[in-house]
Amino acid sequence: MKILVADDSRVMRQIVIRTLRQAGYDDHDIVEAEDGADALAKVSSEKPDLVLSDWNMPNMTGIECLQAMRSSGSSVPFGFVTSEGSPEMREKAANAGALFLIAKPFTEDTFREHLDGVIA
Amino acid sequence: MSTIDTGQRRRSGDSRPVIPELIDEATIRSIAEDAWIALVGEEEILLPIPGELPDDVLSSWVDVVGPWTGTVVLTTGRQTAAELTRALLGDSAPEPLEPEDVTDAFGEIANVVGGNVKAALPGPSALSLPEVGSAPAVRNPADVCRVDVLWRGEPLTISVQGALPPLPVPHPHENGESL
Repeated sequence: MKILVADDSRVMRQIVIRTLRQAGYDDHDIVEAEDGADALAKVSSEKPDLVLSDWNMPNMTGIECLQAMRSSGSSVPFGFVTSEGSPEMREKAANAGALFLIAKPFTEDTFREHLDGVIA
Repeated sequence: MSTIDTGQRRRSGDSRPVIPELIDEATIRSIAEDAWIALVGEEEILLPIPGELPDDVLSSWVDVVGPWTGTVVLTTGRQTAAELTRALLGDSAPEPLEPEDVTDAFGEIANVVGGNVKAALPGPSALSLPEVGSAPAVRNPADVCRVDVLWRGEPLTISVQGALPPLPVPHPHENGESL
């Protein structure tokens, strides 16, 4: 399985990837994207099976990336990993077609809770 | 006896709540403690003890724009910001650290703390991307909620501070420079 991790913070991408491993998802290919535009391009070129994306990013936000993906017919499973976990943001995420929203700070248990069943 | 209405009260937005009416120090401390445990490490404790910041400090912050508008600012010694970066990066921390590593890591901590402060405030509101540098000035001392802690014995402050009244904005072409 290939997982695309999109975050404009390199440190946060590392933390997300580390947490995926700690949560037991350690035998998957990881592709990194540094903003929403990069993620959108890599959804086409890398054909990931899952996108884990930050919300607030320069160039293109996570939600804009998700909307662009869905508009272009892509149904790749998409989840947010973001510092903004308010009910309002969760509703926006769900309406745009996100499977889940993991709020930062997260733990490996939070990852398991949301990803079990999504990651084979 | 009459009072001249200068419009100052209206301009300073007196219908807006100030931050101590919306969030307390305990909530901010709890948000920071959760961020530290998840990002920095499970054993990493923030002690609620004020300490004296060194002369050479670094700040990271995010802006919240909504019913309450202001900034969530973390400030600590430059060396402590570097130690925080090493803790976040763990085994993958480069030696020596590059300034952009510190900007990235310290900014991300402000992003996580700020995002959770935003969620505790009335919405809807928007969060800016993090910035790192010299802390934005306090505009209104009554619109500040500040928490002082020690991390690994080093002082760190978290200040949630209002953006009003705005500072005068110089005309971009006034002195022939644009920044």
